[in-house]
Amino acid sequence: MSKNRVSRRQFLNYTLTGVGGFMAAGMLMPMVRFAVDPVLQAAGESDFIPTKQKVAEITETPTRVDYTYEQQDAWYTSEVTGTAWVYKDDKGEIVALSPVCKHLGCVVDWNTDKSNPDHFYCPCHGGLYTKDGTNVPGTPPVASLDVFPYKEKDGFLYLGKAEPRKEA
Amino acid sequence: MKWISQDIDMFLKEKQYVDTAVLPLLPVSFGDDIKQSVAMTEFISLLSVQLERQFRGRLIMLPGFAYLKSASEDSLIGGLGQWESELKVQGFKHIFLLTSDSMWKAFEGQLEGGLIWLPSLPLEHMDENYRNSILDDQVKQLLNLFVQKWQNGE
Repeated sequence: MSKNRVSRRQFLNYTLTGVGGFMAAGMLMPMVRFAVDPVLQAAGESDFIPTKQKVAEITETPTRVDYTYEQQDAWYTSEVTGTAWVYKDDKGEIVALSPVCKHLGCVVDWNTDKSNPDHFYCPCHGGLYTKDGTNVPGTPPVASLDVFPYKEKDGFLYLGKAEPRKEA
Repeated sequence: MKWISQDIDMFLKEKQYVDTAVLPLLPVSFGDDIKQSVAMTEFISLLSVQLERQFRGRLIMLPGFAYLKSASEDSLIGGLGQWESELKVQGFKHIFLLTSDSMWKAFEGQLEGGLIWLPSLPLEHMDENYRNSILDDQVKQLLNLFVQKWQNGE
């Protein structure tokens, strides 16, 4: 028999401390997790939506780029398709324009009006925008087309949320 | 614009720019042709959503004219006629009726609005991507039709 025998009193003390420790940890751990949670959340990444457009294949002619994302409408989630007009400007920089007319929200098309080639044309009320998205005076729209912030990742184009263009 | 309060506020403000009303015709039947009437209704509903998105500034998409396939043709045409005359009174220059039901084709002459008939496609057997691209193609054809009618009317 060893010298330090565990007495009944000691045994009960050890067990109670152990069980109490478990209970305290069970209560504290979720609390700590909740407190830390905002820090652990992935930041910013989800704001950019991937498209199927390869950055290397973007030309100087505006092309339609479709992308899909999930839109949450209260408890109903639906898949929504969005469109952007994407091209490279003279300096080789990518420009991604929103196709939504600033007049009443129709969808504009590139180069479809025969009397105004190389313009964005809105079929609803004849709104015109130049290639860089500036509205042509004398047509109904009062502002330039919105611009998407973009990112390049693994050779593909990622689009953010369209923003009104800052006046130059 | 859709028939929702947010869009109607815009409609009231910008009334002079909205000269087109689109009324989808949606058949309902519980007889032998129940599947067919569902397919037609589904197809036209999906199409009208896309159409509204493209032309939301100039047209108002009405909630749809649902009718029973078993009702008599006279009453259906009479009912639709009431819609048309009301829309006319309200000042819409262009009225489009969107349908997959070939029954209306026979009465085209009695209708005042432009009847657009599209054969419904068996969307139920398609996966979503394929379905969307097919719908896109259909909508593109519709867009041309609308633009043409608008240009002729001016």
